[in-house]
Order: sequence, then C-alpha cells, then structure tokens
Amino acid sequence: MNKAIKKYIPAEFLEFNPRLYAFILIIAIAVIAFFIFPVKELNGYIDPFYSPTILVLPFVGLYRLTCYAYRKDYNKHIFKHPLACPVVESMDSKKREYSGETSAIFKIENMHRYFLYAAIIILPFFFYDVYTSLFYTGAFVLRLGSIILAINAVLLTLYVFSCHSLRSLIGGRTDCFSCLNGGTLRKKIYNKQSWLNAHHEELAWISLIFIIFVDLYLRGLAAGMPIDFTFMVIH
Amino acid sequence: MHSDTVKLKIFRKDHGEKSPGRHDEFEVPVTEGMSVLDAVNYVVENIDSTISVRWNCKAAHCGSCAAEINNYPRLMCKTRIDDIGAEITVNPMGAFPHVKDLVTDLSGNFEIDRNIPEFKPKKGIELPWNIKEQDVTRAQEFRKCIECFLCMDVCHVIRNHSSKYIGPRHIIKAAALDMHPLDTVDRSVSLMNDKGLSLCNVTKCCQEVCPEHIKITDNAIIPEKERAIDKMYDPALMLFDKLKAIGKSGSR
Repeated sequence: MNKAIKKYIPAEFLEFNPRLYAFILIIAIAVIAFFIFPVKELNGYIDPFYSPTILVLPFVGLYRLTCYAYRKDYNKHIFKHPLACPVVESMDSKKREYSGETSAIFKIENMHRYFLYAAIIILPFFFYDVYTSLFYTGAFVLRLGSIILAINAVLLTLYVFSCHSLRSLIGGRTDCFSCLNGGTLRKKIYNKQSWLNAHHEELAWISLIFIIFVDLYLRGLAAGMPIDFTFMVIH
Repeated sequence: MHSDTVKLKIFRKDHGEKSPGRHDEFEVPVTEGMSVLDAVNYVVENIDSTISVRWNCKAAHCGSCAAEINNYPRLMCKTRIDDIGAEITVNPMGAFPHVKDLVTDLSGNFEIDRNIPEFKPKKGIELPWNIKEQDVTRAQEFRKCIECFLCMDVCHVIRNHSSKYIGPRHIIKAAALDMHPLDTVDRSVSLMNDKGLSLCNVTKCCQEVCPEHIKITDNAIIPEKERAIDKMYDPALMLFDKLKAIGKSGSR
C-alpha cells in the first residue's frame, strides 16, 4: 500500500468491513434524522442531543469515540482486532495490517482529555434542563419526563466522572501523594474515582442507551403518545 | 462431570521439527477436583512419558504451567476439568518460540525486562527509606505478577502484528517503577515512542486472562498512556508542570 495513504488512512479503514460500513451508516442516518426531524424542545423538556445546542454534538461524539471503554468495543466488534480473546476466535491474523493507535486518525484518541474538558463544561446544561422542565409553567410541576431527564443527567455525570483521563489527572500521574499539600485528601478522591472508574464501561453503555431512550421518549411525546404523567403540582 | 473419563488432546512437536505439529489423544480417568495439569501428568506418568510439560508449584503461584486450554490462555493447574467439559485440547503458548510439546522458550521476556530503565532513587534521601503506605498501594498490585506470560500470549499485537510492542507484562514492570514514590525516571514517553505502547488498542484481553487478577490495562497500560500524553500531547499540562518546576527551584 502507498506509504503516504497509509500514514493518513489506517489499514483498518481500507479493509472490506461490513461492520464498519453499517456503523457509519447508522451514525449518518442518526445525524440526518437530528437535522431533518428536530425535536429540540417540547412542553419544557429539552432533548439532551440538542442541549445546549446541537453544535456541541461533535465534541460529545468525539468524547465517546475516543473513550477507553468504547475503544475496547469498537476495536473488538467493528475492526476485529481481535474479535475475541480466545486465540482461534480472534479473527485477527498476521496477514491483516494493523496500525494500533499510531496512525493519524487513531492518534486523535490521545486527545481524549480535551473532549473530557468539553464534556465537563456541557454537563451543567443537562441539570439546568431538569430545572427548566420542573418550572416551565412558573409553578413546580413534577412529571415523568423530568424524572427521566434527571436520571439522564446523573448517568451522564457518572459516565464523565468515571473517565480514565480524569483518573490520571486526579492522581494517576502522581507518584508521591504524601509529598503534596492535601495529598491524603487527593489520594482519597483518587481511590473513590478509581472505584467509579472500574464501572466506566457499564456507565458508558447505560448512559448511551439511556440518552437514546430520552430522545425517543421526547419524539414519542411529540408524536402525541400518551406517555407523560404529572405526579405533583405546587403553585 | 458428565463422564468418568475425559478426552485429552495434547500438542506434540519435537524441538526443531519442521512439521506444524500434531495432537495426540488420550483417555484420562477423572478424579474429583482434577485440574488439566493433573490430567497431563496422568498421561506422562501412565501412558506416554515422552511428553514435555513445564510445571512447578501446582498452586497457581509460579506461572510455569501456562498453556492454551481449548484455545484460551490459562494456567493448567488452575483450570479444573469439570469447568471445561469432556474434550480438552492443550496447546503450548503460541506467541513464543516453540521448544518441545507444551514447552515454549520464554527467555526473550527476560531480555525485554533488562531493557526497561532501572529504578533510580532520588538523591540525598536518608536511609532507611521512609515510604508511606498510600504511595505504594498502586505499585504493589503489579508485584503480584507471577510471570506466567499469559497476558503476552493472548495479546493480538504480539501474536500477529508487531515485535516492537514490549507487551503487557513489561508495561506493568515499567508502571511499577514509574509509580514508585522515590523513583526519578519517567519511562512513559519511551514506552510510547520506542516500545510500542501506542500499538495497544486497549481490548483488555491481557486483563481478562491474568490469573492474579491484576488490572493490567486499567491500572498500568492506560495510566502509562496518559502519562505519555501529558508530555507529548497536552501543552496546558506541559506548561503547568514547567511552571511548577520553576516554582520549586525558585523556592529552594
């Protein structure tokens, strides 16, 4: 293969790979649907994909794409490097070219922390959306949709704060905690975050599935489905 | 257990033999709590004494009996027969040069180990070294490694793609040294640039097969990647570290 091409387009993208094509197709359909059928706001509910604006979606998407939890999943299930750990089922072989995270496209994975910073900036908007949904009429109205938005905000927060890059920034890059001012407290925070980090993969998937569910729920409401309930109104 | 015997297929190939090797089949009577190593040893003692197999402690502490059992890298002594069924195939670890039957040459690993920059303590520290527990707990996890090299065997980069990658076992050795509170050397950038750390695509198979349950990827490989990224891709952190170093030297 031409070396110049290889430098910018890794071999993984040049193989015949229906799994990759299917993945790209699904993402393309989703993005087109977001623009053609937007449900940005409905009865005080703001769709998390449009919060604060759909323009932040590339940052959120790149945060997930460069996330260590998803790297494992797409390297296994899309690129089959390897498909599974048992050696005969790996579907990997010496004949296939492999660049790991050394080629231009995959090097973006090293930028994960920048997308983390963007994600931390975006997070408060989801909580603000919960607040907006509770007080959109002026009175306090507790509805099923608000509870769903609140669960979504909490799941996204847990996912972002269980990040490996954050773990490194909190304490992973520190060798001597006792040499620092407040080192013991920092080590305690590091230990707590490490516990959360151990669940990063689960949180990544649960939060992804849930945010899609929230989007579908709001689209269901917009289509007139009777799926919202009011539990409490305080004037 | 479904039956009183188990069919054991053992890989056979002599040293230097050109053929791809073969599997010899043996019927082994099953006893309660029998491990794959017990079954292989039964064959060696009662049926075919020419089979070569390396083992030592039979307690999952020495790492000698590492093999591919039904194509999954495991310790033979820690794998119970009743966990895997009536037909068992035992192969040597395919990532290393073959010696004979189930024995492979692991000496290359010790060569790689020698090329990892050694521990260099801070200068002028009074003896005995006083180290707080909170500073050593992370590196202690890596001391559990029994050097069975199952993580190296399962790694698809080592098996199929590049001899440049030093592999999970050696990354945890470098990480243990890097995380030592008294060490002054940083190995992360050289791991990334010269030792193939960026070839690892974090599929966590090494972590999955580790008999000591060391979180190789989460606690060694990813932290080493992040440390290298601190120095290679994060200008904000690079500036912060530089200012901190200037501040420290100024206050002296």
